[in-house]
Amino acid sequence: MLSVHEVTTAYQGLVAISAVSIEVAKGEIVCVAGANGAGKSTLLKSIAGAERPRSGTVTFDGARIDGIAQHIITSRGIAYVPENRRLFPRLSVRDNLRLGSYLYRGQANREEPLNLVFKLFPRLEERLEQRAETLSGGEQQMLAISRALMTRPRLLMLDEPSQGIMPKLVDEIFQAVKRIRDAGMTVLIVEQRMSECLEIADRAYILQTGRVLMQGSAAEIGVNPDVRKAYLGL
Amino acid sequence: MTAEAIIQSLASGLLMGLLYGLIAVGLALIFGLMDVVNFAHGEFLMIAMYATFFLFMFFAIDPLLSAPLVAAALFVFGAVVYLLIVRFAVRAKANAGMVQIFSTFGLAIVMRGLAQYFFTPDYRSVTHSWLGGKTVSVAGIFLPVPQLVGALIAIAAFGALYLFINRTDFGRALEATREDAGAVALVGIDKNKVFALGWGLGAALVGLSGAVMAIFFYIYPDVGASFALIAYVTVALGGFGSVFGAFAGGIVVGLVEATTALILPPSLKAVGIYAVYLLVVFIRPRGLFGSM
Repeated sequence: MLSVHEVTTAYQGLVAISAVSIEVAKGEIVCVAGANGAGKSTLLKSIAGAERPRSGTVTFDGARIDGIAQHIITSRGIAYVPENRRLFPRLSVRDNLRLGSYLYRGQANREEPLNLVFKLFPRLEERLEQRAETLSGGEQQMLAISRALMTRPRLLMLDEPSQGIMPKLVDEIFQAVKRIRDAGMTVLIVEQRMSECLEIADRAYILQTGRVLMQGSAAEIGVNPDVRKAYLGL
Repeated sequence: MTAEAIIQSLASGLLMGLLYGLIAVGLALIFGLMDVVNFAHGEFLMIAMYATFFLFMFFAIDPLLSAPLVAAALFVFGAVVYLLIVRFAVRAKANAGMVQIFSTFGLAIVMRGLAQYFFTPDYRSVTHSWLGGKTVSVAGIFLPVPQLVGALIAIAAFGALYLFINRTDFGRALEATREDAGAVALVGIDKNKVFALGWGLGAALVGLSGAVMAIFFYIYPDVGASFALIAYVTVALGGFGSVFGAFAGGIVVGLVEATTALILPPSLKAVGIYAVYLLVVFIRPRGLFGSM
C-alpha cells in the first residue's frame, strides 16, 4: 500500500533521514521506533508532504506522492496526526471534527465516521461544545486522531501518540489504534515507547540516526537481545 | 449648544461610524487571517469609488445598483492581488515583515499613480443619484439618506459576514486558517485558496463601502489615504484582526469624531480619534475587543 524507497530528507543542509526504505501493507499496523532525533518524525513528514524529500520516492496505492502538496496527499487517503497534534485550539470539538470532514462537505453522509469516533472515544461526545484547548492532553490526542479519521483515510499515520499523556489514557489510545485497524484502516505509528507499540504492531522498524537499523515482525524485534537491552531496558 | 444639536451630531456620527466599520472590516479580516497589513486598503476603496463613478457616468447605473457589481469586481481584484503579489511576499526568506509591508505599500503607490494618470487628479462626483442630497427627519433629527442607507448596508454586511463565518464550511475553514494556517492541510484544505478567498472577501467589503461613499463623497486619486488612516485606527481600536472588533471600533470612531466636532474647531476634527486611539493603545494595547 505504502512504499518508501531510499528517501533522504534534510533541513537546511542537515540530513535528518538518509536513504530510508519502509513498506506498509494494507491492513497492517507498523511501528517505527527509535530514540529522540532518530528521524522518526521526519519520515512521517516526508510521507505526508509536510517536508519534501531531497531524493527517493514515496508510492501510495501505486502512485508517486513525493513532491505533491500536503493537502492533496490528505485528500488521496493519508491522514497524518503530527506530534504536537495541531488542533484548532479556539474552535469547539465539534468544529474540529467538522473540519475533518471538509473534503466531504455537501455530502449527506459526511458525518459517517463519527459513529466510529464516538465508539472509540465516548468522552469526546460529551465534550462537543468545549473548545479544543480546554481538553486534557489525552483528550486532545483523541480529538486529533478523530479529526484525522473524519478525512476517511486508508492510511493513518500517528506521530508519538503517547506523548504527554497519562499512562491510563496511553493504553486507551493504543487499544483504539487496534480497533481502527479492525475497522479496515492501515496504521503507521512512530513511537519512543517501544514496548506498548510492539504489543499492537504486526511489524516494526527501528531507526537510528536517520537510518533503518533493524526491521522484522513485531514479535521478532521484541525478543531480539540487542533491542531488549538498548530500547526496552531489559 | 442645545440637546438637539448634540443628539443630531451623535446620530450622524453613529451612521458614519458604521460606514467606518464597513471600510475597516476587510483590513481586519485579512490581518486576522494571515498577519499581513494591507497598506493598499485605501486604494482599494479609491478604485471602488471610481468604478462606481464610471458605471454611473457611462451607463447611468445608480450607485445603489452598482454596489454589488463593484463588490464582485473588488473580490476578483483582491484575490488576484493575493495570488500575484502577497503570496510571494509572505514567502520571502529574509526580512519577511519588511517585504510584506513594502509589497502592499508599493502597490498603493502604483495604484495611486495609475489613477492620477488615467483618471486625472480632478475631483469627481456622482452628480445625481437616487439617494444623493436627500435627508429624512426622525423624531426631529435630520439624517442624510446616503449615510443612513450606508449604515444599514454596513449592518446587513456584518450580519451576512457573521453568518458566513459561523454557519458555512468555508467560514469554518477561514477560522481554522486563522488559528493555524500550517494545520489546515491535515484536513485537506489548501491554505492558499483560503488566503485568496480571504483577500477577495476583504476587498469585496471595502468595495461595497466604496460604492456607498461615492454617493456623497468626492472621488479623486488620493481619497483613500484619509479613510485608510481611519481604518487602521478602527482596526487597532477594535482589536487587531477581530472582525467584530472592527464593527465596534468603527462606531467608537464615528461617535468620537462627532463629539470632537462639537467641542473643537472643524480643522481639529481628527484629533479626538487619534487621542482616543493613543489612550486605548496605552491602557489596552490589544484593542477594545482584541483577544490576542
